[in-house]
Amino acid sequence: MSDKNRADTAFTRYNAPAMDMVVAENLVKAFPNPDWREKRAVDALSFSVGEGQIYGLLGPNGAGKTTTLRMLSGLIAPTSGAARLAGFDVATQPNEAKRVLGFLTANTGLYQRLSARELVVYFSQLHGLDRAAAVRRAEALIAQLGLAEFAQLRCGALSTGQKQRVNIARALVADPPILIMDEPTLGLDVLSNRLILDFIKAQRDAGKTIILSTHYLDEAESMCDNIGLLHDGRLVAEGTIEALREQTSEERLTSIFLKLIDAETHAGVSAA
Amino acid sequence: MTFRHRVQTIYRKELIDILRDRRTLIAMIVVPIVLYPLLMLGSVQAVSYQHESLEEAALTIGVASPQHGFMLSQLISEDAKALKRKAEELDPASDEAKALPAPLDGAKIQLFRSVEQLQAAIRERSLPVGVVFEGDALVDAVDERVAAKVYADYEEPRGSTAGRRVQDVIARTNEHIRHARLESLGLNQNFIEPYVAESVDLSAPSSILGEVLPLILILMTITGAIYPAIDLTAGERERGTLESLMVCPVPIIDLIVGKFLVITTVAIVGAALNLSSVTATVYFGGFDEIIASTGGAIPIAKMLFILLALIPFAVLMSAIMIAVCSYARTFKEAQNYVTPVILAVLIPGGIAALPATRLEGVMLVMPVGNMVLLAKELLLGAMVPAWHIMIVLMSTTLYAGAAVAVAAKTFGHESVVFSDAASWKTAFSRALIRPALTPPMSLSLLVTAVWFPLWFYVQSALSPEPGETAVSLLRGTAWLMPLLFVILPVAMLVYWKIDLVNTFSLRAPSLRYVLAALLLGMSAWVPAHELNVLQHSVIGIPESFLRSAAQLVEAMRRLPPAAVIVILAVLPACCEELLFRGFLLSGLASALRKWPAILISAAFFAVFHFFLFKFVIAGTLGIVLGYLCWQSRSIIPAILTHAIHNTIGVATVLWPTWTRWLGMASDEAASTQITHLPAHVLLLGVGVFVAGLIIASKDARTRAAGVGALIKPVPFTG
Repeated sequence: MSDKNRADTAFTRYNAPAMDMVVAENLVKAFPNPDWREKRAVDALSFSVGEGQIYGLLGPNGAGKTTTLRMLSGLIAPTSGAARLAGFDVATQPNEAKRVLGFLTANTGLYQRLSARELVVYFSQLHGLDRAAAVRRAEALIAQLGLAEFAQLRCGALSTGQKQRVNIARALVADPPILIMDEPTLGLDVLSNRLILDFIKAQRDAGKTIILSTHYLDEAESMCDNIGLLHDGRLVAEGTIEALREQTSEERLTSIFLKLIDAETHAGVSAA
Repeated sequence: MTFRHRVQTIYRKELIDILRDRRTLIAMIVVPIVLYPLLMLGSVQAVSYQHESLEEAALTIGVASPQHGFMLSQLISEDAKALKRKAEELDPASDEAKALPAPLDGAKIQLFRSVEQLQAAIRERSLPVGVVFEGDALVDAVDERVAAKVYADYEEPRGSTAGRRVQDVIARTNEHIRHARLESLGLNQNFIEPYVAESVDLSAPSSILGEVLPLILILMTITGAIYPAIDLTAGERERGTLESLMVCPVPIIDLIVGKFLVITTVAIVGAALNLSSVTATVYFGGFDEIIASTGGAIPIAKMLFILLALIPFAVLMSAIMIAVCSYARTFKEAQNYVTPVILAVLIPGGIAALPATRLEGVMLVMPVGNMVLLAKELLLGAMVPAWHIMIVLMSTTLYAGAAVAVAAKTFGHESVVFSDAASWKTAFSRALIRPALTPPMSLSLLVTAVWFPLWFYVQSALSPEPGETAVSLLRGTAWLMPLLFVILPVAMLVYWKIDLVNTFSLRAPSLRYVLAALLLGMSAWVPAHELNVLQHSVIGIPESFLRSAAQLVEAMRRLPPAAVIVILAVLPACCEELLFRGFLLSGLASALRKWPAILISAAFFAVFHFFLFKFVIAGTLGIVLGYLCWQSRSIIPAILTHAIHNTIGVATVLWPTWTRWLGMASDEAASTQITHLPAHVLLLGVGVFVAGLIIASKDARTRAAGVGALIKPVPFTG
C-alpha cells in the first residue's frame, strides 16, 4: 500500500511525480437485501494507483468491480470510506474530482439524435469550456481520433466501432489525467476491441493514470502494471504480475486467478 | 461557467434533441393542427346533421286501432295543409320561412293490436312514437275535448324529437282552431292572452366551451409534457447515456433545471398550438355561429388570457412529470407512473370544471384545480380579484418548486441511476442512512410545500363563525400547530438521522443576540405599522377582510387573555420559528448561500400568511428573523423577537385603550383609516429597531465549528 499522507496533500500536476492519482480508502458499499438486511458489495477496500500506471481490477462476476469503479467516479456514494482522485475527495469535492476524470464503459450510450460533432461539443461545454473553446476542442479530437468522415452523422446511425470512437472522444474532452474504464471491451468485436486496447496504450504513453476492470485476463496480463484481485467485495491479492506469479508459483494469470480465489474461498469456509 | 451558462447549454442541447424526435413533433404539432379541425368538423357536422335529419325524417307513428289511425292522419293532413299555406305566404328566403317545421304528411302509420304492444315496441326502440286517443272521434263541437297520449322514449334523441313533432301537430291544430273561433267572435289573441312573457337569456355566452375547454386544454398540456418528461429522464437512463452525464462536473440540479425548462417549453408551445388550432377551427371553420347558437362564442382576447393562465399550469405539470419520471428506469416504467398521476390531476381538474365550483376558499390553493378554475372564471368573464390570482400563482409556483427539488433528488439517486446497483429501499433503510447535519433542501422544500395547503385547510376550518367564540381556533391551534410545524418534521429528521440540534439551531445564543432580539421584538411593530399604512394607501383592504378580522377580534375578547396570548402569540412564534428558521432555513442553507436561503424562507413564511395584505409585513419580518437566526446561529433570539412582536400585536387587539398613548389606532372603527405614528414614537421605534439590527450584525459563526467530522458541510457557513 502506498503512502497515504502524500495522497492527502492537494493536487498539483507537476511537483509530485510519484503521487497516488487514485486512492480508495476503506471503501464500503452496502445494499439492502430483499429482507432489509444489508449486503456488502464492497467491503473495506483500500488501494491506490500511482501516476502514469495502469491498474487492473480483476474478479469474477459480482465481485464488486463495477461498484468500486462507480464509487471512485462519484456515480454512487460509498456507505463509508473515501475515494480520492488527484487529491480531490469524491464525496466533498465532486465537481473538482469529476474534472480530472474520464469515464468509459462498453455500454455507455450516445445521444442518438445528436451528431458526433454536436455530442463532443456538448460534453466539452459540460466540462466548463465556453462554446467557441468547446468547438475548437471538438475539432481537435475529431482530427486526432479520425472521426472526420462521420462526425456530421447522427450517433444513432453509426456502427459499433464508430460509436466506440465517439465515446473515446467524449471521455477525453477535458484531457483528464485519470481514466476509469469499466469493462471497456465487453462484447466488442475484434476490430473495436483492438481500437480500445490501442487507445489505452496510447493514453498510458501520454502519462495518464488508468484504472480498468476486465474479464479478459490476457488483456490484463499484457497491459496492467498492477493488478488487484477482487472477490466478494474484498481485495484478495494485489501486486505486479511477477509478484503474483511468485506468490502462487503459477505462470498464467488464469491459473493464478483461480488458485487465489480457491484459497480465499477455503479460508472463508474454514474461518466460518 | 456559471449556473446560467450550464443551464443554457443543457437547455439548448435537450431542446434540439427532443425536437429532432419525430414522436415529439407529431404529438406537439401534427396532432393539434390536424386532429382538432377534423374532430370538430366531424363532431359538429355529425351533431347538426343528426339534429336536422331527426327534424325532417319521415316518421313512423304507431296507433292501437284503425280508427285512431284515421283520426291521426286527418289531423296530420290538415296541419300539413296549413303549414304549406303559410310557407307560400312567406318569402322563402326569410328566417321565418326557414324556421317553419317540416310537415308530417309523409309519416307512415303503423297499426298495433293493443296499446301494450305499442308500448312494448317503443321500449324495444322499434317504434319512435305512438298515439292513443281517448274516444274514437275527432272534436266536432265547441264544448268537446279529446285527449291524446303521445308515447315515446323521451330520454332518447330520436324518441324525444318524434314525440315533440307529434305533439306540435296537436298544438298547431289547437292554435288553428282557437284562431278560427276567436275570429268568428270578432276577437283576437289578446282576448285570451292579455300578457306575454318572454325569457331573455343573459347567461355567460361561452357556457359549453367555457366549461369543457379548460379541461381539454389541461389534458393537452399534460399530454404535451409527458413525452419529453419521459424521454429526458427515463429515456436517458434506458439508452445508457445517463452515466456519462453523471460523471460530468455539473451539479444535478442544473441538469434537472435545464431539462425541466425544455419540458415546460414543449408543454407551453403544445398548449399554445392546441389553443390556436381550436380558435382557428372555430373562427375560420364557421363554427362560431353554430357554437354561438348552442350557447357560446369566445372572443380572441380571452384566448390570450387563457394561454397566460396555462403557463403556470404547464410549469407545474412539467415539474410534477419530471419528478415522477425521474423515478423510473425505463420508458415503460415511466408510463406506468404517469397514468395514475394524470388521473390524480384530473380529479381536482374535474371538480374545478363543474359549473357550480367557484374560485374561493380551499379551491384557491387546490393544486391543478385552482388553475382550471382561474382559466374557467376568466373564460366566463367573471371578475377575479387580484389577490386571488396572486394566491393561485404563488401556490402553484410553490408546488412546482418543490416538485423540481424532488426531481433533482431522485434523478441523481443511485438507486434510480443503476437498476442493478441498489433499490429505492436504500433511501428508507435506516441501517444504510448516513447521519447528516442538515436536511437536504428537497426534503425541506417538499415538506413545507405540502404543509401549505394543509395549513390553509386547518386555518379555514378553525376560523370562528360570526358570533362564535374563538375556542375552536384556540384548541385547534394548540394541537395542530405543534403537530404540523414541529412534531412531524422532527419525526422525519429522526428517521433520516439528521442532527436536530444543528437543524433547529438549538444553541444558547450569546447575550449580544438576546439583547438584539429584545430590541427588535419591542420595536418591530413600528416599521410594521408604517408598512401597513403605506400598503393601505396603495392597495386598500377589502371590506370582507376587515369584517372577518373584526369578527376574530370580537371572538378573542371573550376568551381569557392569558390563553389567547400563550396560544395565539407565543406558541405560533415558537412553532413558526422552528419550521421556517429551523427546518426550512437549514435545509436551504445546505445548498444555497446566505441571502438566497434567508429570502426564500421569508417568502414561504409570507405565503403561509395567506392574505396578500400580510405578505409584505410577514415577508419583511421573515427576512429580519432569518437574518437574526443566521447571525446568532441560534433559534432562541428569533423566537424571542417573534414572540414579543406577536404578543404586542395581540395585546393591541385585546386592550385597545393602552395603545392610544402610542398613537396607534385605538379601536376597530379607526382601523379602517390607519394613520402614521406621531413623529417621536416613529423616531424612537425605528431607532431601537435599527439598533437591534446593528447589534445583530456581528457574525457569530466560528470557522472551526467542531462537528466538521460529519459528512455534510456545516451549515450556516455560507
